[in-house]
Amino acid sequence: MGVLLGKRGGVSGAKLGESVFTGYCLINNFTDPFMIQIEANPEEIYDIELEHSLLEANAKIAKANRAKLDENGITAIDFMGAIGSGKTTLITRLVEKLKDRVGVAVFNGDATTSDDGDPIAAMGVPMVQIATINGCHLDANVVAKACAKIDLAKLRLIFIENIGNLICPAEFPLGSKARVVVVSVTEGPYMVRKHPHMFLGAQLVVINKIELAEVMGVSVEQLINDVHKLKPDMKVIPTSCKTGAGLDEVAAAILAV
Amino acid sequence: MHELSIASSLVESVLNIVNAPPKKKIMRVLLQIGELTCIEPEQLQFCYTAVTKDTAIEGATLEIERVPAMVACPQCGYAGAPKYWEDALAAAAVATLECPSCGKAAEATQGHDCTIRTIRYVEE
Repeated sequence: MGVLLGKRGGVSGAKLGESVFTGYCLINNFTDPFMIQIEANPEEIYDIELEHSLLEANAKIAKANRAKLDENGITAIDFMGAIGSGKTTLITRLVEKLKDRVGVAVFNGDATTSDDGDPIAAMGVPMVQIATINGCHLDANVVAKACAKIDLAKLRLIFIENIGNLICPAEFPLGSKARVVVVSVTEGPYMVRKHPHMFLGAQLVVINKIELAEVMGVSVEQLINDVHKLKPDMKVIPTSCKTGAGLDEVAAAILAV
Repeated sequence: MHELSIASSLVESVLNIVNAPPKKKIMRVLLQIGELTCIEPEQLQFCYTAVTKDTAIEGATLEIERVPAMVACPQCGYAGAPKYWEDALAAAAVATLECPSCGKAAEATQGHDCTIRTIRYVEE
């Protein structure tokens, strides 16, 4: 990622946006590795050309999280979905199924309360409550802090419950190996097409509360078709945390990540 | 409202540049937003104005350009514009990861970033 300090018009003859290298490095205190300045008179207008990603700071921490988890043989799974889609119940069911087979921990993101996290902690698995207060998504930094709070030895899985939101978390990878979107039939028939970005970045989609599909008049098939329109190779598993349908399949998919 | 985090990160980056010598007054920041992100330009503008208030870059304009999505298909080798889902509910057609050529899963190669491209300033 280079930074070029180019002059707009003037003595160097460089056009706006044209790359001109004079070959000496002047400023190093910006985060980018090289920055080249072109001599110019004061009072002139300059353009600094750069390619500075605003999403990179988070992405870098996410990569570091991932490296640390890989080192410890841990797979982190990020659960995203709207408020009330059933993320917490799904995670609770998965913990019940898996906790005696492999080491599981849960990071529970919630704006203010620990209502969702407490019952999980009561099952005897390590649980870190992440209160975002006004934050609409988790970021890699809070996940790094949560990782520091638990003993990573003996863990095989970390379930991260993101904030109930189908937009904001998409931009902030956490360092998980897979992102799961949980969408329930009670959210209506158009959830997938309304939130394409969330699905484009996911590796698994769970369509939850299928026992209510008929009452809701929502077609599970249609939701699955919508997902495949966005991403043809996406694994989609219809589930019911009430009846237990599909949960073994989700657990198997997660263990296979 | 993740635009607020993005705006804060933007302002922090620009202030880093302002604080490096020579002394400068920032006039304009050009930001490129990828089509595959869900960063809303209007909300970002609003947050930018709020975050820059009482800083060295207050009053500098924020110009936003959209970067179109591009995909590449590992199955058939297609590279180019994505297939759009025309009749989705959205106001605009939705870019998908279905390969426009063979219909299998393609990968996004462009359009998922948000980058500062140009910072225009005058020396003071």
